[in-house]
Amino acid sequence: MEEYYLICEDSLEGIFSGVYQAYLQKCPLERVHLIAGEEENYRLFAVYKRCESSREHAEKVGRTLKRELGEEGYYRICRTLASYEADKAEAVFRTIVMALHRKTGGKILEDLKDPYIRRVFELDRTVGNETHSHIEFIRFRELTDGVLYAQISPKNHILTFLMPHFTDRFPLENFVIHDIGRNLFAVHPAEREYVMVSGQEEWKLPDTFSEGEEKYSELFTEFFHTIAIKERTNSELQRGMLPVRYRKYMTEFNRGNTGNTVNK
Amino acid sequence: MKQLPAEIAVGGTRTAGCDIEIMTHEKVPCIMKEQENMSISEKLNILADAAKYDVSCSSSGVERRGDGRGIGNSSRAGICHSFGADGRCISLLKILFTNECIFDCKYCMNRKSNDVRRACFTPEEVCNLTIQFYRRNYIEGLFLSSGIINNPTYTMEQLYRTVYLLRTRYYFQGYIHVKAIPGADAQIVEQMGLLADRMSVNLELPTAEGLSRLAPNKHRKNILTPMRQIQQGITQNKEELMVYRHAKSFVPAGQSTQMIIGATPESDYQLLMVAEKLYQRFDLKRVYYSAFVNVNEDKDLPSLPGGPPLLREHRLYQADWLLRFYGFEAGELLSEQKPNFNVLIDPKADWALRHLEYFPVEINRADYQTILRVPGIGVKSAQRIVKARRSGNLNFEHLKKIGVVLKRALFFITCNGKTMYPIRMNEDYITRNLISNEQGRRPSPDGLTYKQLSLFDDYHMGEEESQWKSII
Repeated sequence: MEEYYLICEDSLEGIFSGVYQAYLQKCPLERVHLIAGEEENYRLFAVYKRCESSREHAEKVGRTLKRELGEEGYYRICRTLASYEADKAEAVFRTIVMALHRKTGGKILEDLKDPYIRRVFELDRTVGNETHSHIEFIRFRELTDGVLYAQISPKNHILTFLMPHFTDRFPLENFVIHDIGRNLFAVHPAEREYVMVSGQEEWKLPDTFSEGEEKYSELFTEFFHTIAIKERTNSELQRGMLPVRYRKYMTEFNRGNTGNTVNK
Repeated sequence: MKQLPAEIAVGGTRTAGCDIEIMTHEKVPCIMKEQENMSISEKLNILADAAKYDVSCSSSGVERRGDGRGIGNSSRAGICHSFGADGRCISLLKILFTNECIFDCKYCMNRKSNDVRRACFTPEEVCNLTIQFYRRNYIEGLFLSSGIINNPTYTMEQLYRTVYLLRTRYYFQGYIHVKAIPGADAQIVEQMGLLADRMSVNLELPTAEGLSRLAPNKHRKNILTPMRQIQQGITQNKEELMVYRHAKSFVPAGQSTQMIIGATPESDYQLLMVAEKLYQRFDLKRVYYSAFVNVNEDKDLPSLPGGPPLLREHRLYQADWLLRFYGFEAGELLSEQKPNFNVLIDPKADWALRHLEYFPVEINRADYQTILRVPGIGVKSAQRIVKARRSGNLNFEHLKKIGVVLKRALFFITCNGKTMYPIRMNEDYITRNLISNEQGRRPSPDGLTYKQLSLFDDYHMGEEESQWKSII
């Protein structure tokens, strides 16, 4: 018996379209599999199909999921799909198949005995944790025109999950969060909705910062060092709470770097 | 609740219901010639350094969305923004308004008799720092405390001016934690409560004797009065909010306090009993424990050659969590006969070892509260177990996969009537294994563990010794 592999675009729309297509295949669902992005190793005795993204199909799937899993469950599925792991599409697809079959609503995501649901749980948790870490550790720098600019390079595609928090927090600020790895910008003009912009190669990244930037980054760095109690020094604990990989863009760990160019 | 007009708080003539005349500027020691030219960086260094021994830095307890007209919001879970070299979370701009102080508490760096550099912020400086740090996402809000200048009420008014400015002129909607100064007028404490998210009064030392010995200017009554006032304010405000949704909230993130550990000879049992009473009778959100750091070399203070009592502090926090989230009572964990925590074993495992009659617990049938009492199983694991077992029996493999750490739990649980390894329900056996586990060894299935001789290994030393003596 042949296995069917649907290769879909690595995006929410792409994978939801894949789910839609999977239900249209004329074979049992157990033998249909989803792959997000590119397949590296093609198998024997398997049929590979490329799946076109369709907004209409994706919206239908989205509506069904909201109905079956509730808002919370739907949100968790979306967050799972923001993961960088390759098996996310398959885990989500299997979970959806089970959810539609069992009809137990959002509760199905609690059945951690099932390996696919557990995988969804794990991926969702990882993306959620990374989002939270960025909410904590992101640092904005003020450009000469008063715009706040932050750089991140997260493993998972968390930019869209960060924005509601910062939009609510800084409604009157012009700010930009730049995902360097994906070359994506989330741009928030003061008092308006934010937009996502895909970066272009020839764009020059900002390299001039305001006067206040130098002053306040210096002040905070001093504060950061002063506030620690030296009798309690514990760098192991510090590393556990604040992993080194986050420190690259953090003001207090890069003292004196505020004026550096950030061109790629 | 009546709003105090800003001019009274800021300009200062006489606050209604307040006996103490507000001091005019000439009498204020804080505004001195030298400090007028002190740079903001120097001030921040002095006043952050002076505030660092205060433990509380949490920004949790209140969920508030921005209203779109200012800056800031607040998240129920709290957000840490950095971690210092001591591994403590940096969430708030933690500063003193001034380190001038008329009190002479022996444990405190800023006591009157110490010759340290003194500094004083202006309200505008504090507001500017808060806003500029906040918009760069360095901090989650402001923690404002102060040394006592002139008198408690005057000091409190300075803090109020600052917070009032920050809330009304800078439209700051982030988190604010303010110390209530013991002895300050009740009215100013109440006004402050309408602006701050959290307030705290430090208990400093668990017993009244300790307090009068080390902090001669502080009195237990002065500390408990504002604590009670804030508690009543919160309760009353909850009722108001039920009737009228838009009532102004009063200290919505609750109040906390702090005790110094190891400066006075109180036992862990006494400390925990005090904490439990504070939770029960004063509805505190948190009690913080601060391992004593000897900064003053005073003859009334213990010298601590081994550094601050960090392990003791850690055990107290573990027990504190057991009180707040695990349904334990202080009397279950410690007693007059056993007044201090075990150095080697955490309080929960220690309790379990003394109550083996409750174990093993069957994971598939026991209720949530019972599972929560198993050493090694926390709130999250217990919740996951209870949810996951709805769709079928769990075995040890499942437990591992859903993220339950079995290192300690395996001695206390069964899945479908079976333990993970053959285990003897014997206190000594489990204790040995728990401790050797810490050192990374697996429990021996035959129950025969070798006992390594070490200084700390023997708990029944006392008993054995007396047995030997009787034989001899």
